[in-house]
Amino acid sequence: MADAPSANDELYPIAVLIDELKHDDVLLRLNAIHRLSTIALALGPERTREELIPFLDGQTAPSAPAPNQSLTPLAESVEDEDEVLVALSEELGSFIEYVGGPQYGHVLLSPLENLAAIEEPAVRDKAVESLNKICQDLSSQQIEEYFIPLTIRLSKADWFTSKVSGCGLYTAPYKKISPQVQESLRTQFGLLVHDETPMVRRQSATNLSKFVKEMTAPIVIEEMIPFFQHLAQDDQDSVRLLTVEILIAIAEVVPKDQQASHSVLLTSLRSLIEDKSWRVRYMIADRFEKIAKAVDDETVTRDLIPAFVKLLKDNEAEVRTAIAGQIPGFCSLVDRDTLLKDIMSSVEDLVSDPSQHVRAALGTQISGLAPILGKQETIDHLLPMFLQMLKDEFPEVRLHIISKLELVNQVIGIDLLSQSLLPAIVQLAEDKQWRVRLAIIEYIPLLASQLGVKFFDEKLSGLCMGWLGDTVFSIREAATHNLKKLTEVFGVEWASEAIIPKVMAMGSHPNYLYRMTTCFAITTLATVVSLDVIGKSILPMLEKLVEDEIPNIRFNVAKTYAELVSVLKRLPDEGTIYSLEKAGKTDTTASPKSTELIQQRILPHLEKLQKDDDVDVRFFATTAAGGVPAVGGEPMNTSP
Amino acid sequence: MDTNMEDVGRVPTELAPMPPSEPTTIPTLDGWIESLMNCKQLAEADVQRLCEKKCPVTVCGDIHGQFHDLMELFKIGGPNPDTNYLFMGSSPHILTIDINIIVTFAAQRRNRSDYVDRGYYSVETVTLLVALKIRYPQRITILRGNHESRQITQVYGFYDECLRKYGNANVWKFFTDLFDYLPLTALIDNQIFCLHGGLSPSIDTLDNIRALDRIQEVPHEGPMCDLLWSDPDDRCGWGISPRGAGYTFGQDISEAFNHNNGLTLIARAHQLVMEGYNWSQDRNVVTIFSAPNYCYRCGNQAAIMEIDEHLKYTFLQFDPCPRAGEPMVSRRTPDYFL
Repeated sequence: MADAPSANDELYPIAVLIDELKHDDVLLRLNAIHRLSTIALALGPERTREELIPFLDGQTAPSAPAPNQSLTPLAESVEDEDEVLVALSEELGSFIEYVGGPQYGHVLLSPLENLAAIEEPAVRDKAVESLNKICQDLSSQQIEEYFIPLTIRLSKADWFTSKVSGCGLYTAPYKKISPQVQESLRTQFGLLVHDETPMVRRQSATNLSKFVKEMTAPIVIEEMIPFFQHLAQDDQDSVRLLTVEILIAIAEVVPKDQQASHSVLLTSLRSLIEDKSWRVRYMIADRFEKIAKAVDDETVTRDLIPAFVKLLKDNEAEVRTAIAGQIPGFCSLVDRDTLLKDIMSSVEDLVSDPSQHVRAALGTQISGLAPILGKQETIDHLLPMFLQMLKDEFPEVRLHIISKLELVNQVIGIDLLSQSLLPAIVQLAEDKQWRVRLAIIEYIPLLASQLGVKFFDEKLSGLCMGWLGDTVFSIREAATHNLKKLTEVFGVEWASEAIIPKVMAMGSHPNYLYRMTTCFAITTLATVVSLDVIGKSILPMLEKLVEDEIPNIRFNVAKTYAELVSVLKRLPDEGTIYSLEKAGKTDTTASPKSTELIQQRILPHLEKLQKDDDVDVRFFATTAAGGVPAVGGEPMNTSP
Repeated sequence: MDTNMEDVGRVPTELAPMPPSEPTTIPTLDGWIESLMNCKQLAEADVQRLCEKKCPVTVCGDIHGQFHDLMELFKIGGPNPDTNYLFMGSSPHILTIDINIIVTFAAQRRNRSDYVDRGYYSVETVTLLVALKIRYPQRITILRGNHESRQITQVYGFYDECLRKYGNANVWKFFTDLFDYLPLTALIDNQIFCLHGGLSPSIDTLDNIRALDRIQEVPHEGPMCDLLWSDPDDRCGWGISPRGAGYTFGQDISEAFNHNNGLTLIARAHQLVMEGYNWSQDRNVVTIFSAPNYCYRCGNQAAIMEIDEHLKYTFLQFDPCPRAGEPMVSRRTPDYFL
């Protein structure tokens, strides 16, 4: 083949492609597929249509090569890896521009039809997706001439895989074709709905919910409601559960004032709610808010409110979990009196549900009731539930409640919230699960800003300092960020008295991991402390840590110095970087005193660390001093 | 200080004269190299320093390719290099569990994607640990486990994972070649002996281990194999291991080994323990396992052992990390029937 390019230049790319498409290595075949567009571009639209597509058609044809094929000998590598066929299906979807534009788009249908008949669902799904994509660009005439016959062929095939693909090809062309063809399409779809294999009925049910959205209300009422009714009575629950979406789609198309006259819909809804299979009830529960929004108000009051209460008490934890997720959404649709009278007590029962998953789902949603209920009812109904759920044995439940308290706060105010919940929060601050502790820490600055400094010092200060010595690193880290936020709230004077001494005390801890917390805290606090605090409290501590026996401490001191230098370079005699930035002054310059601190009390130590025995200390000290580190900085320098 | 061994770029300030019989210690590695180039032996203390670990260090057991749980481990113990780490082997994933059990399990949990999303990250896990080792050689140590071998990785998934992610076996080959160079054991401050598996009847002293030629594929038998495969047992003496490699050893064995070598503790991994760590043999042996909810089905906690600079140790237990993307969600619908 080496001499081929000179003689037959334009055939070369396709020859290479064909070689690669037939290669033993799946990866090479896959790459070849992804380069199809390049090949097509090189060939030009005409040859793409006349040679490349027929060739691919041969590649994808199930058995004997098609008679019109110009490259027949290549058709033998038919049954390729699914991975390759998925890639091919996807590529063909965006191939219209390479075959000469939409007017030639239909030539792509044939290979995709073959792919849509393959056994592997991933390939079929991609092929159907690409077919629908191409359909958007085709003219009505092309659709009626090429696309609709394809849909019908697939739907009438012997084997269910083709029919399943066929189910997905009704929605896209529907609006672009004449009423007569539309009618034949609906008739054909009806056959799929009545198919004997559940796989096909399932797929028709999935697609029916999309299909009805393309039609006018009278046609839906006349023809689609019977389809829905048939599927809703299927003996397979895997089919019935899919009809919930159809019901919603139909209810959205049929105007609300006409719904009452189609009792079939209501009967089906009732039987689905009562279905003996929990999976069907699960679907109802999971889509409850959507259903309630689609049906008329009378149905909501008469049927859905009792159904909601019933699902809250369902035997299956899965169903209760799903319906718990719909609580605020559905409750906002019913009036407050009904909510309090009929629904609330069943919701309250879920607090002590035997399944932790139900309680966890309730935990994420329950706060959403606060705005609906209003202040007094939240205090009467929700607070007791919160208090109980904050003590739940399952940590996720506790966590969900804490992380959603903000909503409740907006309704009843922080005073009331903190009074009633503070004891529970203090208890959770020492929770065994560190993520629960973390959630509490993140809530502290808000609490502090609302409660004021005195209350904070009395009730919460101890907790915040305790977290600095937590066994879990992430809690210690969060504790330092918390201190920074608290300093922003209460000011630098408060910090220098209440926080700094305790942070500095951690620097004498016998365990290096806890001494390191002091370094982290200083780095975090650097922008919220004044020159005075840096000079009097922070630097003396670092001067002690810089002599630490453990190299990890020494290189963290170097990192901390780096942060302090960058702060000091901008820090005037008065104020902090945070207060200055808040006041809008960003271009501050260092006062002589901060420059002096850098020169006298930081750089000498960094110089010393640059001569440290430990390679990592030297690296971080050199970085901090602004120099280029000797090792590790370059990407490939793997030998220190 | 403890970390001179890889010290570079510095000329030793004092080069002591070296009497032929009793060499004195030299402060830096450059100094060591210089004197070694002159064919002069190092002081015994220096040789010891060349081969050992010092506290403080955080000791971890098996990770088994549970990358997200390794991230959780760093959240608990602190990031490397700030925290020193010692991993006692078996970072690649292993699937010791019959595939049917996994399927049953998936059905029970009603969440197939849980397994798929978080299952196979051995390549990422191993690559990260090796990269950290190369960047911060002083701050992290990786010991060899029984899965850090060509044969085991071919059976239990690491080979397939490399093939799937890179399309060829090169990466598997690079890593398994590297595994040959991983140390088998580590000694912390002459007191805590760390290794993946357990003791061997062919090894009485630490010097026996130092004499092993370890740069090779893990053999099917012999001392090197035993160190990576053995387990402690309630019965006294040596026993035949049900694993088909290594031995089981009783309390009498570990007591004698610790006593003869002046050790206080053998820390090892290799076995799933529900609490993440487990004392055995009258506190002569501790097992540490750092893969929470192993294989996403065992329901076990994981643990790490923090040893501070005064050799005081603390165990930190942890649970699997919440799934990324949808962290706090309870069970969702099984998608296989939707």
